[in-house]
Amino acid sequence: MDALHGMPHCLVMEYPKDRSDGQAQLLSVVVDDDESVRESVPDLLREFGFAARAFSSAPEFLSSGCVDETSCLILDIAMPGMSGPELQQELKRRGHEIPIIFITGRKDEAIRARVLKQGAAAFLLKPFSDEALLAAIKMALQAI
Amino acid sequence: MAEPVADPEREIKRLQRCINDLVSLLALPAIWSSNEPAQIVAMLLDALLRMVRLDFACARLKDPATGVPLEIFRVADSFKLKAPPQDIGAMLSNWLKREGHDSLPPTGSRFAREDISIFPVPLGIHGEIGMILVGSERAGFPSQTESLLLSVAANQASIGLREAAVLTEQKRIANELDRRVAVRTAELAATNEELRKEIAARKLEEEKLWRSEERWRSVFENSAVGVALTDLTGRFIATNPVYQKMLGYAEAELQQLTFLDITHEEHLPENRRLIEDLLGGKRQQFQIEKRYRRKDGQAVWVRNNVSAVLDADRVARFLIALSEDMTQRKLSEEALAKARAELAEVARSSSLGVLAASIAHEVNQPLSGIITNAGTCLRMLSADPPNIDGARETVRRTIRDGNRASDVITRLRTLYSRKELSPESMNLNEAAQEVTELSLSELQRNGVMLRYELADDLPLVVADRIQIQQVILNLLRNAADAMSSIDDHPRELLIRTERDGGNQVRLSVQDSGIGLTRQAAGNIFEAFYTTKTDGMGIGLSVSRSIIEAHQGRLWATPNDGPGTTFSFAIPCTLDLDEAEAGVNRSAQSTDAA
Repeated sequence: MDALHGMPHCLVMEYPKDRSDGQAQLLSVVVDDDESVRESVPDLLREFGFAARAFSSAPEFLSSGCVDETSCLILDIAMPGMSGPELQQELKRRGHEIPIIFITGRKDEAIRARVLKQGAAAFLLKPFSDEALLAAIKMALQAI
Repeated sequence: MAEPVADPEREIKRLQRCINDLVSLLALPAIWSSNEPAQIVAMLLDALLRMVRLDFACARLKDPATGVPLEIFRVADSFKLKAPPQDIGAMLSNWLKREGHDSLPPTGSRFAREDISIFPVPLGIHGEIGMILVGSERAGFPSQTESLLLSVAANQASIGLREAAVLTEQKRIANELDRRVAVRTAELAATNEELRKEIAARKLEEEKLWRSEERWRSVFENSAVGVALTDLTGRFIATNPVYQKMLGYAEAELQQLTFLDITHEEHLPENRRLIEDLLGGKRQQFQIEKRYRRKDGQAVWVRNNVSAVLDADRVARFLIALSEDMTQRKLSEEALAKARAELAEVARSSSLGVLAASIAHEVNQPLSGIITNAGTCLRMLSADPPNIDGARETVRRTIRDGNRASDVITRLRTLYSRKELSPESMNLNEAAQEVTELSLSELQRNGVMLRYELADDLPLVVADRIQIQQVILNLLRNAADAMSSIDDHPRELLIRTERDGGNQVRLSVQDSGIGLTRQAAGNIFEAFYTTKTDGMGIGLSVSRSIIEAHQGRLWATPNDGPGTTFSFAIPCTLDLDEAEAGVNRSAQSTDAA
């Protein structure tokens, strides 16, 4: 319960894990070439109350067919082929306005500044706590 | 006097005698052998004394040739005065002077208180040659015939003297000519001698020059460095074989060129400046390192030492260059510079900060997983009802990631310290399969088709299992990355093992990915070289260090079709001492400077 201490109760109510009235959950997508991230983060997202899916590369996500339903994108910066920032550009070009939370193992002020300027909602450094991720998602969704 | 002749016989005899005397006189010139005036006159006087009964005869004349006054005196034995002829001559001169008869005394003058008749006979048409004075006590002197004889004698004497004079003159002229000829000849001889000496001296000089030329030519031809002689515009006059060979031109071809023609443009400004300084006297010689362009277009680095050749007046006439091919040296220098730069790069990148960053990166991934899973676990357990199964799964992952982090630390520690390898006898096929299984899900997710071609008879190898697996993992990751953007042909990954040579085993990872560019091929094994945007670029360099520490080698070859094959080969048995040395070597090159 420590993790939830101090959090407004209503927040927990806002994203119920499952809704018996059939209302769809919001979809959070994780795109990262790191397997451990694809393993662990979707579980966490589900604990937050989201539906979650994971993809290992940007092209995989783009051709997955769930781009339109994605409410929030957790995106790795450095990936082979199309990088995170490149996917950000591509989504913009395609007219999607999905809020993006960038995650990265490397601290690079230049990239951070750039992606934030390009409209990213947050920039998290690995390893990040679950609270940090939740806060970032809140910010991302409230921003819409 | 047309008297009747008293005694005709005697008269005839007298006349005959006179004619004989005349004939003798006429013959006189023929017998005057020498042309000495004195002798002529003396002979004449003697002749006269005989022919004409004289008491004395005296001749006073000037040598027609030399103008030297001459006086000859002859006295008959019967002469009363009985004084020496010179005294008589003196007395006569005095008397003549006294009487005012410097020139021709009148006929019949008396002399010395005696009754001596003096008969002057002029010599020469006008007496210009001189005169003969004859005297006699006899009354009636001179008679008709005597006068005739005396006149004829005087004429002959004149003739003789004139001829003598002429001959003397001719002789004189001849002598003069001879003298002049002799002088001229002597001059010519002297000049000849001078000339001969000069020629001899010149020949000596030429020989000396020839000898030094020989020596020079020998040096020139046999020199180990290129030698070139040019005029002041730089046009080649003579080049030695080494020089010609260095540039790939024949001598005749070079003689059409200047050295600036064959110098690389880059060096022309400096070259021109140095030549100016040399010719302007600012320097005695200069050195330049530059590139020539050979006839075949290739460049050759040379080191030239250039000086000017001065003539006798210390004026520059030629340039001479000693040219050393330094291509090898330049290549070595460049290689050295490159190696130094690489070393500096490696040294720099071996600094502790980068080491820490590499460890941090390698460890970060499992660490992130641990933290995320732990957070998830807590939430799951706090849920109502608690999600025990989910929590269990997160814990499992946490443990796994913790182990992974630990392995990474161990691997890095091994690599970056001087610790020994921990070799074990392992089956390469099994090790490869283990590692590949770990990545299987990811590979499948990426649409990669995996195939094995593992040798059945692969011998066991003594190697550090973890390290070898790290290498295989690295190769697998790289292969997958290379194929991540491929969608026009299948993504195929082939893992092959086989025996290699006598005592080695080889493992190859073949992909059908984008392949290596030529530039990449040269650099992929270098530390921190990566084509990935976020790669640290240590994967392959670390992998190579590991393989080399095992006394093996790691290399890449392009496929016939698309993609690349990375292979490593390691010996089955490990020479532990050599292995430790190898680890030390790789540690040294990556340690902090």
